[in-house]
Amino acid sequence: MSGAKSGAAALRSGFGSTRDLLPRWAWILIFLALALLFPYVVPEILSGGSGDDLLDASVNTLGYVIMALGLNIVVGFAGLLDLGYVAFYAFGAFVVGWLGSGQFEGVNLDFITDVPSTLPGIHVNFVVIVIVAAAFTGIWGVILGAPTLRLRGDYLAIVTLAFGEIVPRVFENWEYVSNGRQGITPIDRVYFPGVGELNYPIELEGIYYVGLAMVLITLFVNIRMRDSRLGRAWIAVREDEVAAAAMGVNLVRTKLWAYAVGAAFGGFAGAFLGAYRNTVNVDQFEFGFSVFILCMIIVGGMGNVAGVILGAIALSMLDRFVLPQLNDIPDKIGLSFDLTAVNFGIFGFFLLVMMVLRPEGFIPSTRRRLELHSGDEVGDAAADRSAEVAPGEALYEARH
Amino acid sequence: MSADGNGTLLEASHVTKTFGGLVAVNDVSFTVPRGAIVSIIGPNGAGKTTFFNMLTGLYKPTTGQVSFEGRNITGKPPHEITHAGIARTFQNIKLFRTMTAVENVQVGMQSRLKSGVVASILHWPTQRREEKMTIDKARELLDFVGLRRHYELSANLPYGDQRRLEIARALGSDPKLLLLDEPTAGMNAQESEELRGLMETLRVERGVSVLLIEHDMRVVMNVSDHITVLDYGEKIAEGKPEEVRTDKSVIEAYLGSQA
Amino acid sequence: MGRRVATALWQNILWIGLSAWVLYYLVQSPTETLGDIKTGFSNGTIWALIALGYTLVYGIIELINFAHGEVFMIGSFVAVSIWAWLGISSRSSTLVIIAGIGGVLVVSMLASGSLNVMIERVAYRPLRNAPKLAPLITAIGMSFILQNVGSLWYGLPQQVPDLIGSQRTLFSLLGVDVVRSDVFAIAVTLPLLFALIFFIGQTRYGKAMRATAQDPDAARLMGINVDRTIALTFLIGGLLAGAAGLIYALYNGTVRFNQGFTAGLIAFTAAVMGGIGNLKGAVAGGLIIGVVQSISDDQYGQQWTEAVVFAILIMIMVFRPEGLFGEEVRPG
Repeated sequence: MSGAKSGAAALRSGFGSTRDLLPRWAWILIFLALALLFPYVVPEILSGGSGDDLLDASVNTLGYVIMALGLNIVVGFAGLLDLGYVAFYAFGAFVVGWLGSGQFEGVNLDFITDVPSTLPGIHVNFVVIVIVAAAFTGIWGVILGAPTLRLRGDYLAIVTLAFGEIVPRVFENWEYVSNGRQGITPIDRVYFPGVGELNYPIELEGIYYVGLAMVLITLFVNIRMRDSRLGRAWIAVREDEVAAAAMGVNLVRTKLWAYAVGAAFGGFAGAFLGAYRNTVNVDQFEFGFSVFILCMIIVGGMGNVAGVILGAIALSMLDRFVLPQLNDIPDKIGLSFDLTAVNFGIFGFFLLVMMVLRPEGFIPSTRRRLELHSGDEVGDAAADRSAEVAPGEALYEARH
Repeated sequence: MSADGNGTLLEASHVTKTFGGLVAVNDVSFTVPRGAIVSIIGPNGAGKTTFFNMLTGLYKPTTGQVSFEGRNITGKPPHEITHAGIARTFQNIKLFRTMTAVENVQVGMQSRLKSGVVASILHWPTQRREEKMTIDKARELLDFVGLRRHYELSANLPYGDQRRLEIARALGSDPKLLLLDEPTAGMNAQESEELRGLMETLRVERGVSVLLIEHDMRVVMNVSDHITVLDYGEKIAEGKPEEVRTDKSVIEAYLGSQA
Repeated sequence: MGRRVATALWQNILWIGLSAWVLYYLVQSPTETLGDIKTGFSNGTIWALIALGYTLVYGIIELINFAHGEVFMIGSFVAVSIWAWLGISSRSSTLVIIAGIGGVLVVSMLASGSLNVMIERVAYRPLRNAPKLAPLITAIGMSFILQNVGSLWYGLPQQVPDLIGSQRTLFSLLGVDVVRSDVFAIAVTLPLLFALIFFIGQTRYGKAMRATAQDPDAARLMGINVDRTIALTFLIGGLLAGAAGLIYALYNGTVRFNQGFTAGLIAFTAAVMGGIGNLKGAVAGGLIIGVVQSISDDQYGQQWTEAVVFAILIMIMVFRPEGLFGEEVRPG
């Protein structure tokens, strides 16, 4: 066991020291620049099909990043284990299905789009759709969250899982709103007056930047909330509900806000992905997806915004590019089974290993590390934080 | 402002708590006057913390009533009671371990902060000012209780500082009544004395009344205006320190009856 | 006085609602519903066996064994595979069939039992002191891995040979045909239940399990090997799930690699309904859920049943998390 222990310890310290190489704002600038230049850098490096592939994966990744940040509020900040996040994805996607397609043929509504006004169905501008999707899903977050308020841990997880199963099931059987197993397609193209319709999937730059803008909005809201009175309330509730309540935190309101905001981001991204993929279909909404997003924040480091983003990018790319590559391996070593079928099994294995060796994720918040390794050396956590002591403040009070 | 003018801050009347077949607190009536420091003592298991928990909304009394400043607070949820002006510390320290000292106190101020969600997101000047105010006030409270390492993770603080932090955090809500559950547990004589001084300062400088559960008799006898003694969930004696100290039933409860 | 009645009504609203629901259909279409109740009971034995596994494990380490559904699925698969391997089919001689079922029952149970023990060792034990999120995640991971193993084993729904002539009517009761598979389900489950009751109540291993469930530290001080007792609990849970797997295979006629996911959630609902940690509750819950499922299948169509069961789960959690026989879990 000692070999595993020291290996785990090595893992733990590795990423921490890389982070300290540059001040925080430098990292932010670097990543922002990378993100902005990305669509133009890609065709330089990868020609033809694979460049488009990467861009396509990136657009999807942007959607997942938003969802990971949303789930991070519920699970990472407030400590509410939600295994049914896919339901919010579904809500958001169906909103774009309802407000941006020919689904409701009886109605004829047109709002800041460039579809011909004779086209049946509701066609509303994408920006409006996305806002409506966020609000709608946020409300559902409260509705689905309300029954779970008194539940803890495992029970909470199972009930949210049940909701995550029920919602797609209901959509599936309610043909009028979902078009059953066929799904809703096509979805209107994203349109901005002055810019015109975005031409994805042929040209991906436009939609990429829309996605990036949405990510930046999400990030902004996330960080603002984290550093506010509500954010502190969330963390307090996660740490110790009883103490939090005794300190004046309204448990019900605080938890419902977490669900509302987390869900809203799910719907926000769901609408984006629905539009990008040009189709909304219940097959897209499975329990595995909830786990996929949960994985991202676990791998990246729960509660830590930067870690969550990196986790989302890493897992999305892994799922898209690495796992299919593994298909070649059995051939090469002489076995004859197909590894594509093993995708989620590999995820499962990954989860297992992760939780046993480094449950706080690769770039954990100091909090998380403290929580999960309270038996181990707490020294490095303290050293980390001491750099943030206000100037002029005595670091150690020589009394004891 | 209080509806009753007679200076009673908190009144518990005929409060009983049963858990299934177990009677933890039995028909206890009790008042805390304004500007007073009052103690509850009794052997272990006497029901003191259960009583506290009923005062602060963690438990609902099976029967009986609790009123604060004339208003009925029986069975109200903890955050409402804190909002009304009662704050507490815990017997087993319940700090938010992964938050710093300042952050812990900031949470203590929850009920007094007004910024809404939208204001927080948009970072309006009012919200910005309020946040700055919370930090300043948190640090002031930490200084008040004698805690210097403001930005230390609360989990890393030494025991005595953790107890102090709990008090600072409770003070964050500007309470009129502070409930302290065994605040000097694990402290040495000097620290206990400092705490006693802190309670006096609270009463005198900030007009905060204190209700104390305590085992350290020196502290209890020196600081209390009034002492109530519980044993097996019942009130067996009350009065001024000198009275209680010599009360036969109290001595028996603590030492066991000498047949 | 009126207040007491009102509170009692509110707390039992679930049972009242469910009974009213069943009664309604009983009155509306008696024979059909009676048939559903019969099928429900038979199905219910499967859920009861799986639910027992959940409840035993939760009782002892307060953890939901998320991978338990897959343990059940593997039990089914082992049974089907061995029958295929040995070439046992409905045309084999009665003796061969009886031996085939009996022997394979034992093997399935052992396979599931050891799998469950392995899961505990690998996914739960290293995380015993971690916050509850961690073992739940590893359990999900385990569940995924096992489902994948299942999909590699039988990627498509696999037919099960009809070894017991499952649809042959044996007798009629109240106008309802009781078929062979109903009797088979009961015939396998009842002895297992008796064995379980005896084991938990009368043997010292059972006593160790009960002691550890009540207070692991005290149990340790009494000299009980807590690790081994926990492993034993997982073993028993797995054995029962394996039996359920075999019954399911013969009763249902097909097995598929994702049967564990749905079965797991349904059986978990049953365990919660009965009161998690409570053995007779798990059995009662299993039977009740079985009946609900059957009636729902008939009246609303199979596509809605899953949603119905989950809705019930949510309602239990909201209105009566302690279930039928559990203790009050609400705070103060």
